[in-house]
Amino acid sequence: MKKIIILLISGIVYAQPPVAPTTGEQVGDPRGENTGEYNIRNSFELGYRFATAGGDFDMYRSTVNYTDGIRLLSSSLSIQSRDGHGRWFDSLQLNTQGLGNDPYESATLRVEKNRLYRYDMIWRLNDYYNPSLTIANGEHFKSTSRIWQDHDLTLFPQSNLKFFLGYSRNEENGPALTTIQLFDFRGDTFPLFADVRRQQNEYRVGGEINFLGFRLNVLRGWEDFKEDTPTDILASTAAFRIGIDGNAVPLGEPGDNGLNTLNAYHSSQPYHGTSPYWRVGLFREGKRFYAVNARFTYVAGSRNFIDNEVSGGSTTSGAPATRQILVFGDARRPAANGNLNVTLFPASFFTITNQTTVNNIRMQGNALFSEIDNGVAITPFIPFTLLGIRTIANGTDAELRYKKRFSVHTGYHYSDRRIQVIDGQQNAGLPAPAPPNNIPITQFNHQHAGTLGVRIRPVAGLTILADGEIGRADAPYTPISDRNYTVFRARAEYKRKTWRASVYEKTDYNTNSVSLTSYASRSRNFGADASWTPNDWFAIDAGYTKLHLNTLGGLDFFAAGQATQFNSLYISNIHTASLGARFSIAKKADVFVGYSHSQDVGDGRSTADGLPLGAGTATVLDPFRAVQTFPLKFVSPEARLSVRIHRQLRWNVGYQYYGYNEQFTNFQDFHAHTGYSSLLWSF
Amino acid sequence: MYLLRAVLLAGLLAPAAAVAADYVGSNVCKTCHPDVWANFYRNPHFKSVASGKEAPENTGCESCHGPGKAHVEARGGKATIIAFSQLSAEKTLDACLRCHSQTMSRANIRRSTHTQQDVVCSTCHSIHKSPAPKFLLAKAQTDLCYGCHSSVRAQFSMPFKHRVNEGTVQCTDCHNPHGAFDPTWRAATRPRMVEQSQANEEACLKCHIDKRGPFVYEHGSVRVEGCETCHSPHGSMNARLLRRPVTLTLCLECHNGQGTFGSFGPKFNSGVQKPPSDHNLADPRYRNCTSCHVRIHGSNTSEFFFR
Repeated sequence: MKKIIILLISGIVYAQPPVAPTTGEQVGDPRGENTGEYNIRNSFELGYRFATAGGDFDMYRSTVNYTDGIRLLSSSLSIQSRDGHGRWFDSLQLNTQGLGNDPYESATLRVEKNRLYRYDMIWRLNDYYNPSLTIANGEHFKSTSRIWQDHDLTLFPQSNLKFFLGYSRNEENGPALTTIQLFDFRGDTFPLFADVRRQQNEYRVGGEINFLGFRLNVLRGWEDFKEDTPTDILASTAAFRIGIDGNAVPLGEPGDNGLNTLNAYHSSQPYHGTSPYWRVGLFREGKRFYAVNARFTYVAGSRNFIDNEVSGGSTTSGAPATRQILVFGDARRPAANGNLNVTLFPASFFTITNQTTVNNIRMQGNALFSEIDNGVAITPFIPFTLLGIRTIANGTDAELRYKKRFSVHTGYHYSDRRIQVIDGQQNAGLPAPAPPNNIPITQFNHQHAGTLGVRIRPVAGLTILADGEIGRADAPYTPISDRNYTVFRARAEYKRKTWRASVYEKTDYNTNSVSLTSYASRSRNFGADASWTPNDWFAIDAGYTKLHLNTLGGLDFFAAGQATQFNSLYISNIHTASLGARFSIAKKADVFVGYSHSQDVGDGRSTADGLPLGAGTATVLDPFRAVQTFPLKFVSPEARLSVRIHRQLRWNVGYQYYGYNEQFTNFQDFHAHTGYSSLLWSF
Repeated sequence: MYLLRAVLLAGLLAPAAAVAADYVGSNVCKTCHPDVWANFYRNPHFKSVASGKEAPENTGCESCHGPGKAHVEARGGKATIIAFSQLSAEKTLDACLRCHSQTMSRANIRRSTHTQQDVVCSTCHSIHKSPAPKFLLAKAQTDLCYGCHSSVRAQFSMPFKHRVNEGTVQCTDCHNPHGAFDPTWRAATRPRMVEQSQANEEACLKCHIDKRGPFVYEHGSVRVEGCETCHSPHGSMNARLLRRPVTLTLCLECHNGQGTFGSFGPKFNSGVQKPPSDHNLADPRYRNCTSCHVRIHGSNTSEFFFR
């Protein structure tokens, strides 16, 4: 029992979850109550959560989002048949978290009867709030709720012939703000209100049969998706320009003549479709000589849509403008994928694996685009697009082991990718235009990578892992894609009965030359953590991680009519530290204290070029330099006390502080005090 | 050839070396291990006992620990029975896969990175001491994963992250710790251990249903290189899990018109298209790309993702 407690305690302090619900502290009889043919264990944690926030409440909601109120912080119900022959089920396990009004709620249920069925359900809710101020200056606000549910029923789970039935539902609803730019290239950006309404339903049916030692698994699924998100004007004459400091620039500011207006707007964009799919798998564990599996998948996605957009206002020159855009069409994406993986064990100390993958995905769409500007129809046109990606990859890995002390593994991976693009259009009612408009543009991309690694156990409890990968690719798709990359990882862990310590290091360098400059990214991670659980009433865990990233890229753009080239050097140095300690007092009370600290020190400057963000506008390049390092700090200490007041009852109280501090500006800083008090009742 | 056949035959017959008489049954085991047996009915492995139809080598304690006769006769001892604390990683894997290889989600376990690093079943699962019967995990899933993946834990401590610590999202929503099939994006080699949505799509689309498409106008990098081109999926210091604090540099680092990147047809056949000359980036209005290019993940009506 002591070992079990130590195991539980050591697990508690690794992560730092939110202060509530209470985790780990047990109450009640661990053996449960016997009722008829079942054994039952049940617990509820009911309490009140409080939260106060100062500073930018929007950012608080975006990152933390807890609010006041009564919550069923957690509950657990476990019913087990004592002889494995329950009438309707042998095992039932129900867990909930955050029910009541927490922004993060979930429930899981598993019910099964031996040899007959197994049913799994997961239900989740996530209230999502994001002002996203640093991204698009507040226009792309979102306050939506996403609810997922997954249901899976397996019939005859232990037999040679089993069946699967599944259903999943994913909904997102809520208000949002988006933007549109009208009526000409120099027009302003106008905020729009969007009523987000998205829904996905997925149905699955399948089976698995065992024959000749092979297992054949077949799954057929249908995914239906629909989005009906209307957008409307937020307010008339709501034109504004966008300032990089996060504020909208009002009308009448220098550079804005105030003539560009939007007085009426409505857009309806129903977007419906289905993605039926097949998955066929064949696999076998060939005793101790080989393992082989093959999989084929096919997804045939299609979507139909209409966009009806009506707007009225005035152009940047003040001329009245009305516009109606009507687009309808469809898009399709068949995607096929095949895998063949073979693992051979020629000897007990030697393993060799070969994997082959073939992917072929083709996205294509067409539509009829018609537009009426100020009562004059432009010639409708039909765009036709295609993006095809075909990838063939093969890799071989080998591992050689010498007893438990040493092993070495190496591998070679090759990938051949073809990307094909057609980006064409034709005027409605006319023949297809002459080439080159509809000629496919094809690009080939090859990648070779080699890996080498060792694992050493020089003494009992100590494990050292080190491996590296070197890859070379030609014609990468984007300037930041893998081209000449080198990855090195090392990890050492020393584990004893009551404590463990580990250090790790990972570097990931990628260099991708372009004519303007060399794009290069250098990521270096280092971490160390340790935990100590000397007895059943004390445990401590601490960890530190440094995540360094610097990238050098080339920017090429126009500014004030001049072509401008600029080397973009982004530097991020993120230090994170965590500490958790837990101890018991006289077996009556448990105390947990924790601290989490994340800080990006950037390149060492507290402001960009010594100037607050947005202030450096003396030259065109100043704003670019200003966003190359973003120092900020996010800290969260917490403490929790759990007191056993009865054999079946615990009283818990906790407090957690959140502090968010941007050191380049303080528009979004916040601090928050959250906490809870609850009773954990078990019976 | 005969020698090879003989070796293969010997290997196939090896499990049969333990005769039925060597199995003593779980009732004998509980005599000395009552603490384990007392709660074993809650263990999913109790099915093998309750069934009453399994062969001795697939029933109860001896289905994992092997025949117990010698162990009983020796009055205990780890040398006379299969003790998992003494097994090498590959032997542990072999023992569990005798029964647990029967699932498609574990088809790649032999070649997974975890197995390669000696992270096998008993590293994460605790058969007799698990606090929860479902999956018999030794600890909460996040604690198990964070135990080795410290940098990932650090990312989930950042202000913007998927709600893993909060309990809404699990590591296994995106990853398959038992080994996944090769990814169907990027070069089909990295990242490893990422589960696929639907039948073969990037795991992000499992929840972010509106990003799936297909669209008439796809954002090529999203489909070719995946969502990680712009986003840090675990956590970020930047809003919306972006790799940069503002879209300004995030977009322009690719859209610089340099080299032979991308494949945009005859109109833009040199690099990924850079902002046109009417985008005066000296004017702040052009520095927030997604203010105008709102449908950046893909659009049905606008080549430039305007609507």
